[in-house]
Amino acid sequence: MDEFLTIAAASKLIADKKLSPVELTQACIERVKQQDATLHAFILPTPERAMADARAAEARIMAGQSRGALDGIPIGHKDIYNTAGIRTTGHSRLLEHNVPDRDATVVRKWAEAGTVMMGKLSTHEFAMGGPSFDLPWPPARNPWNPEHFTAGSSSGTGAAVAAGFILGGTGSDTGGSIRGPAALCGIAGIKPTYGLVSRAGVLPLSFSMDHAGPMAWTVEDCALLLQSMAGHDAADPASADRSLPNFTADIAKGVKGLRIGVVRHFFETDNPVSPATLQGINHAVDVFEHLGADVRDATLSPLAEYHACGSIILTSEAYAIHEPWLKTRFNDYGELFRDRMAFGGFIRATDYVQALRRRRTLCEELKTAMAGFDILVSASQAAEAPLITEVPKWATMEKPSLTMPFNLTGYPAMSVCSGFGAGDLPICVQLIAKPFDESTLFKAGHAYETAMSTRERRPTLALQEAV
Amino acid sequence: MKPSISEAEFDLLAAQTGLPLNAAQKRTLYDAYWMLEGMIERVNQPMPLDREPAHTFNPEVR
Repeated sequence: MDEFLTIAAASKLIADKKLSPVELTQACIERVKQQDATLHAFILPTPERAMADARAAEARIMAGQSRGALDGIPIGHKDIYNTAGIRTTGHSRLLEHNVPDRDATVVRKWAEAGTVMMGKLSTHEFAMGGPSFDLPWPPARNPWNPEHFTAGSSSGTGAAVAAGFILGGTGSDTGGSIRGPAALCGIAGIKPTYGLVSRAGVLPLSFSMDHAGPMAWTVEDCALLLQSMAGHDAADPASADRSLPNFTADIAKGVKGLRIGVVRHFFETDNPVSPATLQGINHAVDVFEHLGADVRDATLSPLAEYHACGSIILTSEAYAIHEPWLKTRFNDYGELFRDRMAFGGFIRATDYVQALRRRRTLCEELKTAMAGFDILVSASQAAEAPLITEVPKWATMEKPSLTMPFNLTGYPAMSVCSGFGAGDLPICVQLIAKPFDESTLFKAGHAYETAMSTRERRPTLALQEAV
Repeated sequence: MKPSISEAEFDLLAAQTGLPLNAAQKRTLYDAYWMLEGMIERVNQPMPLDREPAHTFNPEVR
């Protein structure tokens, strides 16, 4: 089976008994066998588990007992999601032999939805740092050109989805770790509202900035995956106790009448993006206007304000988690993680508290600005993927992050592929909605994707190997 | 760009962290320290005394 399917398409074929979950899973396993020696998307493939899951799904479906849209769909988990009986390393030497005895809440929920677990996916060490070449496993590489970076830290998920190893996967996003790899790997990825998805059983980086979310080939697939991830979980103190909408119910209703604000200064002056990225954003704005949205510019504080505040909070909280190991096993961490993280020891308590106070001010600012808009538009990455060997050690500090504002404020934000730029590498646009309004985000993203033709093109590597 | 403090002053701060940093690691961090200083300066911009009780908590632990 050489065809690349979306979750939505595969799900329909499976439901109609025109596609066997076993055959679909075998095709994915074959791709992993052919290409993952190049891409390193997986830390630990679990083909036997996948085949067992697939056979169970097929038996349910043939018996008329389907569990829904995700039954029989091959997925993978970022290797910071605990999997009972299956090694969970955080891509770190410190947890090289760690085997959890319980599934993370999201892992359990996806298993209950009938997904086929293909394995554990590469990340950057403890979901930060990277790309690192001094860890027990190599970094994932970009399927559009393996010499290039995937971004991170959900690097394996981005690479695996783009290469067709899996149809969707889990990511986590503390400063942009879902949206970055989604952008550079040319797929879709959503960081949901803070509190919408449980982080119980997910290795933490920064308690008040960590978000769990899905990544997939299309916006619609992300909506299907989020439906089975979201929901209240008492095991996560930040979990929101509220009813869930049906994320796909209105997804095809278009953007006519939506009020869209373009935070132009973020990507034109605060962190100027590449020519192709800028062209892609401007084209997206044109598409939204053409589809009937009311588009205007929006103004927020400079990106550097959001970045500084988010970075101080993130680094302080992460340092608090890692300090015992940093003091006793400093050189067991990879160079990038330990050097970036060491700065946490230089941040005073008062700096952290001032950052929390400033965070509130910025949340108020964003709320006021969003009163006049349903969606904001910005960039999620400044440029096409760089060479994997040329990512600066201090990349996360040198320029203000385009994604950090929405970790800091907790607003839902999504990266959507907007075409291809220099080196024929993917470019992207970031869409942001009001808290718990993922449905509008999906509606806008789906309308844009539908109007474009970028979803029809797969990485050349995947196509060559699939023949 | 350079940090606002000397390398000797930085070494004192490094010692206070308790991290087992060797000379090369300290030098690497010192060279990048100006970026952290810039962020710390940004979050310490003056605010009114009563601005935002950020440290709230919920007494009803769920």
